[in-house]
Amino acid sequence: MADDMEVEAEREGCGYQKNDKMFTLKKWNLVAMWSWDVECDTCAICRVQVMDACLRCQAENKQDDCVVVWGECNHSFHNCCMTLWVKQNNRCPLCQQDWVVQRIGK
Amino acid sequence: MTYRNAPSVKKYHPSLQRNDPAGVASNSEWIRRGPGNWCSFRRLIRTNNDCEGWHRRFNCRAARENLPFYVLVELLEKEARLVNLGLQLVAEHSLTTTNKKSSKDRQETLTQLWTKYEEKNISTKDFFTASLDEKTMSLKPRHIDFDSTWSTLLETVRGVITYVYALCVAVDPLVDQLYQETKTFLEKYVQELHNKVIAAGEDHLLSSYHRYSEEYGKGAGYLNQLYRYLNTAFIKKKKHSEADINYGRFQLDSVDQMMEIGELALDIWKRLMVEPLQNVMLKLILRDIQSDREDMTVNQNVLHGVINSFVDVEQYRKKNQLLLYEEVFEIPFLRETGDYYRKEASQLKDECTCSEYMEKVIQKLDNENFRSRKFLHPSSYAKVTHECQQRMVADHLQFIHEFLKSDCKELMHTERRKDLGNMYTLLKPIQRGLGFLIQQVEDHIRQMGLEAVKNLKGENIPAQFVESMLNVHKRYTELIHIVFQGDQQFIGALDKACAVAINYRSTVKVPCKSPELLAKYCDNLLKKSSKGVAEAELDDMLSSCITVFKYLDDKDVYQRFYAKMLAKRLIYGQSASMDAEEAMINRLKQACGYEFTNKLHRMFTDVNISTDLSCKFSEFLKRDSINLGINFSIMVLQAGAWPIGQSNLPTFAIPQELERSVRMFELFYSQNFSGRKLTWMHTFCSAELKVNHLKRPYFVTMGTFHMTIILLFNSSDSHTFREILDHTQLPDSELSKQLQCLIDTKIIVTEGDVTESSTFRLNMEYTNKRTKFKITAAMAKETAQDIDQAHSAVDKDRKMYIEAAIVRTMKARKVLKHNLLIQEVISQARSRFTPSISMIKKCTEALIDKQYLERTPQTTDEYSYVA
Repeated sequence: MADDMEVEAEREGCGYQKNDKMFTLKKWNLVAMWSWDVECDTCAICRVQVMDACLRCQAENKQDDCVVVWGECNHSFHNCCMTLWVKQNNRCPLCQQDWVVQRIGK
Repeated sequence: MTYRNAPSVKKYHPSLQRNDPAGVASNSEWIRRGPGNWCSFRRLIRTNNDCEGWHRRFNCRAARENLPFYVLVELLEKEARLVNLGLQLVAEHSLTTTNKKSSKDRQETLTQLWTKYEEKNISTKDFFTASLDEKTMSLKPRHIDFDSTWSTLLETVRGVITYVYALCVAVDPLVDQLYQETKTFLEKYVQELHNKVIAAGEDHLLSSYHRYSEEYGKGAGYLNQLYRYLNTAFIKKKKHSEADINYGRFQLDSVDQMMEIGELALDIWKRLMVEPLQNVMLKLILRDIQSDREDMTVNQNVLHGVINSFVDVEQYRKKNQLLLYEEVFEIPFLRETGDYYRKEASQLKDECTCSEYMEKVIQKLDNENFRSRKFLHPSSYAKVTHECQQRMVADHLQFIHEFLKSDCKELMHTERRKDLGNMYTLLKPIQRGLGFLIQQVEDHIRQMGLEAVKNLKGENIPAQFVESMLNVHKRYTELIHIVFQGDQQFIGALDKACAVAINYRSTVKVPCKSPELLAKYCDNLLKKSSKGVAEAELDDMLSSCITVFKYLDDKDVYQRFYAKMLAKRLIYGQSASMDAEEAMINRLKQACGYEFTNKLHRMFTDVNISTDLSCKFSEFLKRDSINLGINFSIMVLQAGAWPIGQSNLPTFAIPQELERSVRMFELFYSQNFSGRKLTWMHTFCSAELKVNHLKRPYFVTMGTFHMTIILLFNSSDSHTFREILDHTQLPDSELSKQLQCLIDTKIIVTEGDVTESSTFRLNMEYTNKRTKFKITAAMAKETAQDIDQAHSAVDKDRKMYIEAAIVRTMKARKVLKHNLLIQEVISQARSRFTPSISMIKKCTEALIDKQYLERTPQTTDEYSYVA
């Protein structure tokens, strides 16, 4: 499939014409790093880095399910930490505004 | 017919078949096979009772039918252990077959008949009749005159049954009288026997004593049964119950107590036979045992019987049955044995070298052990062995140790396994006897290990290191298993020695190199390489890495290096086999726990997820009919899991023609996931370019920065430093480094050094032997710095770990002494590294500053937790 794409590219001329260019790019291997788009690296509730799973999930070996949640206030925490927190107190632990979920990481 | 000789039977064979119309005999299988198979002419062996006997005993031991297989195996295994003993007993002629007298007689008659027949003194017919008679005769009951025999028998039976009973039930005093009379009779009888024994003279004293004691013992048994009524009805009532004796309310005073008749008989024997003779018998027994030691033949039966009669005499006693045996025989015997072997040992020591001495001593111990089994009561076996060991080994420990000290090196070097094995056998039963040997072995292994570590030189040091360590480990594990029977104490010594060698560091300040070397060794194994290693072999080699890994003190350092190398292998697709990678991670997990390999696992899964992601991305492009014009693969790594920092990334502008692809992917990614941001790690990206302008095409693999620079030359044959800088946005220093690298490969050229005013041109004359090659990034070369960086990162991790451990401990204990805290932290950290005490102290200070802990007021060495 990759070859097809290349041939097409050359024919349509949106890339490089054959023998026209001195160098043609055959393949590009890209490496990217993803991280949660957060302002603060640490979850204020469990004091663990948000990139790592919270302690509860680490203990139960559910690292892959431990995601991050953002509030309207733009503060972020581990989703599981926050779910427990709001049962006690429906405010953001950092700014004391009412907690409204803006988005949940995936 | 079986008793005739084979040739002559053969002669009659055809006629036999003719005369046997029914074919019963002649057609039966064994006849048809010919007489050679069944003829027993002049042969004695006509029974397989020895096998049958074994079979029967074995069946009894099994105690049930249809044994399950594993029970049977165990049983057979036990039996197999007895085989050697059996062989030895047979060799010693102490286990022989016995024949019944009747069968012996019959055999004799047959032999006579055979002789007569061979000398033609009797006819064939007579021979047959005679041998047939002989064969069947013993089975026929003899004619006996019933009346006369019965009347004799009746007399006795009546006498026993009626009179004992009558005497007992008549009137009370008669019981005493019967008892007294029996006693007097027995006393007289024993006295007579005693006189006979004495009369036999010293040479025959033991054998006649043995004969009489056997007879008397049996007689006493029968007598006891005859007097059973007396025993149960009268004597037992008068006797103290067992409980009384056990609780000691009565003094055991056998003199004025009535005894059961059997006991009485044996008591009389003891008083009138054993006690007067004990000294002379002891002398004779010791003399005989002595001559047995000197390999002269003695009558084993008699000796064994006499010695055990001291036990049998006391068989009715409820307590201390062995007392007489011990007093009369065992104690003096042990003393005598000790003396004998003390003399033997000192004589041997003067005569031979230590290795000869050990061998001889082992032989002597074996012999003496066997002798115990031949003559003594089972209770003495261990005592005799112990006595011998004390006299020959424990007393001369110094001798053996000196030998060990002077020759240990040589012993271990040339692996004189026999000597070492002998030493082990001798020293093992001695209390604290092995300590010195273990110490010597440990010292030696450590020395060998250290030599191997210090001598690492030249090429491929990681492989040298791991292989030499494995060699040492394997060699001595094998030695310990063969020579020291896999003794745990020696395995412990091996472990200690290996740990010292593997964690060797030339000075205290330099970190130990072993974790790094081991990680490199693993890296070399797991990398794709020209020499193809078979899957199974690779697997074995990796498993043996774990052997070395387990001895590492600084497992966290190893992990750091391993992670770094794993990252490179995964990103650049250099792994020889993903299965092998996964297997290795699982092995580390097994050795060190989940937490240790957590990040390695995450790295591994990231790679698999990325493959999926690339597929999905191309589907996504297809669906929207977007053509990016390049073929690219993408790896998305999870930050935090990889040993790659996100800080200090150089600024960089992606070439315009490629930017669209990157944006498309970012769009795709944000549609699939939410709340994530991507950071491009350009230093890890690579590209494959086709070079068209030269005489023949080349395929070159290079880093993204190089690619960007090279692609610029598509628009013009030469560029100035500034132009390139504007296009790439790379920092100055980074750009010069990258350009220098390209110039080194001669693809582009410039005059003089790379400066900000340089101009770069394409090299139109470029040639290379290979059509496919790679330009290595300048990044990969900074190894020394990498190593330091790795070590400092490990230090940081350690501090975190120690602080966490301290807080955990203090939270649980609230108040703790300084020393106890340090111990606790060390024990928690041991599975990953050995923390230095100064580091623990520093961490404690830091925690006090952060107000997690405080020093308990009025004490100097105690901390308390601040909630």
